[in-house]
Amino acid sequence: MQIIIDKVKCEAKLGETLLTIARRNNIHIPTLCHSDALAGQGNCRMCMVEVSEGKTKKMVASCIYPVTKSIEVITNSETLTKMRKTLVMLLSARVPHNNTILKLRQEYNLPPVTRFKSDDEEECILCGLCTRACDEMGISAISTVNRGINKKVSTPFEEPSTVCIGCGACAHVCPTGAIKIEDIGEERIIWEKSFELLRCSNCGKPFITRVGFEYIKNKINTEIETVCENCRKDAITKKLRDIYGF
Amino acid sequence: MKNQSMRINKILVCCGPGCLSNDSLDIYEALKNKIESDKPYISIETTVKATGCHGFCEIGPLIKFLPLDFFYCNVKVSDVEEIYQKTIKNGEIIERLLYHDQNSNQKIKSPEEAGFYKGQKKIALRNVGEIDPLSIDDYMKRGGYKALKKALLKSTTEQIISEVEESGLRGRGGAGFPTGFKWRQCAQMQNFPKYIICNGDEGDPGAFMDRSILEGDPHSIIEGMVIGAYAVDSHSGFMYIRDEYFLAIKNMTKALEQARNYGYLGQDILGSGYDFDIQIVRGGGAFVCGESTALMASIEGRVGEPRAKYIRSVEKGLWDKPTVLNNVETWANIPVIINEGASRFKSIGTAQSPGTKVFSLVGKVKNTGLIEVPMGMTLRQIIYDIGGGIALNKKFKAVQTGGPSGGCIPEQLLDLKVDFDSLDKAGSMMGSGGMIVMDETTCMVDVAKYYLAFLSEESCGKCVPCREGIRRILVILEDICNGRAQDEDLDLLIEICETVQATALCGLGKTAPNPVITTIKYFKDEYIAHIRDKRCPAGVCKELTIYSIDKDKCKSCGLCAKNCPSSAIKQEQSKIFTIDQTKCTKCGACVDICNFHAVKIGGALACR
Ligand SMILES: Cc1cc2nc3c(=O)[nH]c(=O)nc-3n(C[C@H](O)[C@H](O)[C@H](O)COP(=O)(O)O)c2cc1C
Ligand code: SF4
Repeated sequence: MQIIIDKVKCEAKLGETLLTIARRNNIHIPTLCHSDALAGQGNCRMCMVEVSEGKTKKMVASCIYPVTKSIEVITNSETLTKMRKTLVMLLSARVPHNNTILKLRQEYNLPPVTRFKSDDEEECILCGLCTRACDEMGISAISTVNRGINKKVSTPFEEPSTVCIGCGACAHVCPTGAIKIEDIGEERIIWEKSFELLRCSNCGKPFITRVGFEYIKNKINTEIETVCENCRKDAITKKLRDIYGF
Repeated sequence: MKNQSMRINKILVCCGPGCLSNDSLDIYEALKNKIESDKPYISIETTVKATGCHGFCEIGPLIKFLPLDFFYCNVKVSDVEEIYQKTIKNGEIIERLLYHDQNSNQKIKSPEEAGFYKGQKKIALRNVGEIDPLSIDDYMKRGGYKALKKALLKSTTEQIISEVEESGLRGRGGAGFPTGFKWRQCAQMQNFPKYIICNGDEGDPGAFMDRSILEGDPHSIIEGMVIGAYAVDSHSGFMYIRDEYFLAIKNMTKALEQARNYGYLGQDILGSGYDFDIQIVRGGGAFVCGESTALMASIEGRVGEPRAKYIRSVEKGLWDKPTVLNNVETWANIPVIINEGASRFKSIGTAQSPGTKVFSLVGKVKNTGLIEVPMGMTLRQIIYDIGGGIALNKKFKAVQTGGPSGGCIPEQLLDLKVDFDSLDKAGSMMGSGGMIVMDETTCMVDVAKYYLAFLSEESCGKCVPCREGIRRILVILEDICNGRAQDEDLDLLIEICETVQATALCGLGKTAPNPVITTIKYFKDEYIAHIRDKRCPAGVCKELTIYSIDKDKCKSCGLCAKNCPSSAIKQEQSKIFTIDQTKCTKCGACVDICNFHAVKIGGALACR
């Protein structure tokens, strides 16, 4: 199947999302809450595009809109830019000092937002990726609480979680760097909870929390070595070199 | 007034939500006890029934006497003895308890004579207030389950779907989606199991349309659902009812049980070999849970948050299976369409919006209550003929339709026909049928602020435009009402509203700006008065209102000073009364109490 995005003909598979197709064809659509690993959120609405199908035209979120027939898509009309500007303005009002949003604001040539009172400390745009990541890990230590304008991400009752394993998946996916993760020596602090870090048996760098290590070991039900990602990769490269001699 | 030929054989005591809160159940019990304990002395047989809402809540509790068809209003437990002695035993009508029609200044006996009931046409509410909801026999006596027999035993599924399509019935839950088309799409799916859902979330504050049917005529919903399920080949249904509706849940539970016992539900329905059952799901009561995808998430046991509907529920709904979700009122219409045929149904209402619609008519009208009118009736007819006009003979200002995210319609559009498309065009919507009438004492900016405050808490908070947009819209509206807004704020307000409307994920966000957009469109001068002149023309926004006493009108009676709760009114040496602005809390007590209309409401410059 073929669809047209910004006048470019693009090959598309049935059910593929517009965003996937656009990215494959190097067409830029801005996103905040999208991660390839945790696709299908549709929360930030930055990726809205215009879809024309015959005479009807509608605005859809490209990260979740599945292609089912030949359509024509516009990703950067005047209306879309205007909407995105307003969204960026609203986000800037929410997280005035966040670097990700700051860059976006500059990209859209918007002045700092002075009209609204903001919380200077706020960094979270509630994209929802962190809670998804935690759910995918099978932990669900954090979730969104409250509705509407009072919504936020939190551990249960805002107390240090009893189930968190300190893996940091949430911080890793966060597009705005809102989740603080601090590694000092052999200690990691995340979500106001302290964890012991294990050192890599090869390079000696602390790389995983002890509970996280145990959790993974139990989950896959095999003994694993305490070797960090880098050393594991190095080991594989070395092995290849030994075998093939390059 | 004596009527010798009167033979009352049925007394209907309204036990709808409004009347219940005024002790109608006690009245029912007292009447029942009287009749039963005194049986040997009564020559007529009387059944007292606790029915669902009669609709005319303003004057409840209501008691209707059949077959003579007259009714009493504002009945109290203390009236029971007299009603029993005079009316039931002697056939005497108690004048005092008859309804007094303010407009014609007459006492009215029969419901048909009252303006409130005139112009109404009952389809969805056909049995509400007429039958005992706990009695399936009552329902059947009025033709209940005939449509089911016709559908299951004498029709093909294609015939049923065509009939519903042909009728033009559109979903009564708000969006007006063609019901028959929805069914057809679902019927075509070859993916099983399929599900049927009844949406009884009714999260709009103050709405009680669906509640009245759930409580007052549960079988009509069940019958509709079984027919729909049969048409699309589903064997499992869910009745989603908000948790606070305890009476609805109770009556529905009983009704489901009865339907099963009578072979209308469960296995091998009417011996046709077809199985279908319904279970009740109690909803947590969030407004957003009424949205179709959030409702399904909630039934599945997940957080009640909407998802994008690029893939329709008829294809992937509950547990990703083909699902038909319809509103309570939509389901209640189905048996009538099957029984009486599509063309009969289509003859009521307008071409694009056939049939009737139930509204809860509230606010500043003389007759508030639950009404059902043919589509296409004008707002003026509803407000003035059925509603009896504006209470206290004040001036009409606006009517808000469609629930919290509906729009406000001004006086110049009073002749607007009430149907799905006309309301949309006016910037409002049908919604589930809320209708709130506002008079001249209402501040339209304050109204918009009220709804947005509600929505700011009821938005699920998942998508950026709805959560952050509503939050900032509310800030601007609050600033306008406090006199802290600037000219540019109006443009900013419109900019945010347009973005929220266009980019929000679900219907809540998409419609949330309606109250703001329509009030700016139709009442812009009020916004300007607040922003530029720092004045609230209606005298509602306290920061922008000053009360003062008109020297020429004041007769120095001192009534206001006596009644001022903050002792802000003092008599000067010149005998004239004045209001100390530093003490005045703008409660308005003086305005109401002054017999000479000497208290003026004016605008003030707010302190920055
Ligand atoms: C925020 C929101 C709240 C809603 N609440 C209700 C409700 O309480 N009851 C209802 O029947 N439909 C409600 N709807 C509409 C439903 O999403 C859906 O369209 C309807 O139940 C479909 O049934 P119908 O076609 O019979 O109207 C709501 C929609 C939105 C966006
Ligand atoms: S529009 Fe509002 S209610 Fe709907 S998904 Fe977005 S935040 Fe939730």
